[in-house]
Amino acid sequence: MGQSMSASFAPECTPLKKTYDSCFNEWYSEKFLKGKSVDNECAKEWYAYIECVNAHLKEKGIQPALDDARKEAPFESGGALSDK
Amino acid sequence: MVLFHANTHVFHNDFSSVTSVVFNKYANPYATHVLSIDTIERRVDEHGNLLTTRLFRKKGKLPRWIEYIVGSRITESWMIEFTMVDPKKQVMRQFNKNIDHVRLLQVEENTTYEYDPANKNTIVNTKVKFTSGFHVGIRSKIEKMSLSRFEQGVERSRLGMAMVMKKVEENAQRNLKHEM
Repeated sequence: MGQSMSASFAPECTPLKKTYDSCFNEWYSEKFLKGKSVDNECAKEWYAYIECVNAHLKEKGIQPALDDARKEAPFESGGALSDK
Repeated sequence: MVLFHANTHVFHNDFSSVTSVVFNKYANPYATHVLSIDTIERRVDEHGNLLTTRLFRKKGKLPRWIEYIVGSRITESWMIEFTMVDPKKQVMRQFNKNIDHVRLLQVEENTTYEYDPANKNTIVNTKVKFTSGFHVGIRSKIEKMSLSRFEQGVERSRLGMAMVMKKVEENAQRNLKHEM
């Protein structure tokens, strides 16, 4: 998209994040929103990035609070914000 | 006591531009408090909606009196954000909340971005809830302070969105010229 992108909480993951974000941005505006693709076309970039994130999250004290919060998943029911 | 805040904003841009900027508005000079953003989950569900979970780390400067009460210096805070994009209806729904310091203050924010094809606008509705787990007196003070800061933050966030949107449009124009 041209503008500078945000950093990862783990500096080691920032380059992988930027590669993934660029791939995602292109897919999102050019394919997903236009109804051309629902497949994850950035799988290679995604796995490289998320592996790095998960490895570094383990070192952070936030992991238990994050695991808890993720269970909420408010949009799982197909759109409407679930009441929890 | 719990405080609520709601507001509406209209962007004169299409759904694709506005929601691309939502995913990419950081870093911008109006949001230096955002230290990092990580996408921790992303998939397309059985309804064809894109679900995204992101983890934010923000710099938090709290007034001295709060730090005095809490008994420690709070310099940063973590936030989780859930997003759903329905590409057919051109609607984006977002829910976010802080996941640490929750006894001091819980901020829960719901935002909807909806495209209005008749007017070629994207309408943004935000609802925020502030809850503090402290004793009544301090609580209302903390909640009121958070609300007034939040209102200033909304303005800064819009300036940031508008700035990034302008850049996106300039890039699109440039790319178009290259193609011609």
